[in-house]
Amino acid sequence: MTTARDPNLQKLFAQAAQDFQDDAFAADVLRQIDRERHRMLLVWFALIVVALMCLAFLASPVLAALGMATKALPVPLLEIETEWLRLLLSPINSVAAAIAVAALGLRKFVRRIFR
Amino acid sequence: MRYSADLLAKSPESVLVSLSQNGNRDAFAELMSRRQAWIRNLMRRCSGDPVLADDLAQQVFTQAWRSIRQLHDADRLGPWLKRMAINMWLQHRRKNDPLRGANEHDDADSPREDTTSVALDLDHALATLSPDVRLCIVLSYHERMTHREIAAFTRQPLGTIKSHIRRGTRKLQEELAAYVESEKELK
Repeated sequence: MTTARDPNLQKLFAQAAQDFQDDAFAADVLRQIDRERHRMLLVWFALIVVALMCLAFLASPVLAALGMATKALPVPLLEIETEWLRLLLSPINSVAAAIAVAALGLRKFVRRIFR
Repeated sequence: MRYSADLLAKSPESVLVSLSQNGNRDAFAELMSRRQAWIRNLMRRCSGDPVLADDLAQQVFTQAWRSIRQLHDADRLGPWLKRMAINMWLQHRRKNDPLRGANEHDDADSPREDTTSVALDLDHALATLSPDVRLCIVLSYHERMTHREIAAFTRQPLGTIKSHIRRGTRKLQEELAAYVESEKELK
């Protein structure tokens, strides 16, 4: 079997093992755990503060950009005079549709290259 | 919820693990008091430095507290802790010079049983081994793992492990000849 050991050395290893029963060790570990938890809480607090500050600073430009996008996306690509045809083609005859088609094409292209 | 120290002391380890997984610090402290001697001794045999060993053992338990929810089988706490401890030691070794500590005790003094403790002499002798050989010897003699288990644990070929243990055993027999002789005389 692959476990043959020198019995004298085995005995020495057993004799060398000390019986640690002090509470200081466990107390130190618990203190360390507490310190780590406080550190994590501080990091989370800092992250939330930064996120709130970003939200406060970027709220108005983000809202303005969203407003512009809302106005620009439904703009028709081609002017169609006939009312019923314009309504029929409206889902594909818009800036949003063009962007969607471009995104799908790009995705297909990327997949073809990397697969 | 707080449990009395007496109740925790009488509880089986699997219960303490479950309580620790639910964030009970007292249960975890009880687990530590049961397992600390084993992990601290293992770290001492690996590092040979009591201060470093205790520091690493503390890190092992801190990490264990952080990831105890990942322990799905509460009865596997021992192997789980052992894996964590050995990984902690290997990580520490990688961060530091791997050759540091090997063969640094070149003095030819053989250990004297009457003046030094067995642990000190054993650590002194272990320090003469290369880090890989030392780890295999510690896992074999201290942890009583089979060669196959050590190979799986350290992800090294079985032949390498056998050779490490053979070489390490021979070197330790030389270094600790005084002890070995006195054992023979006693017999």
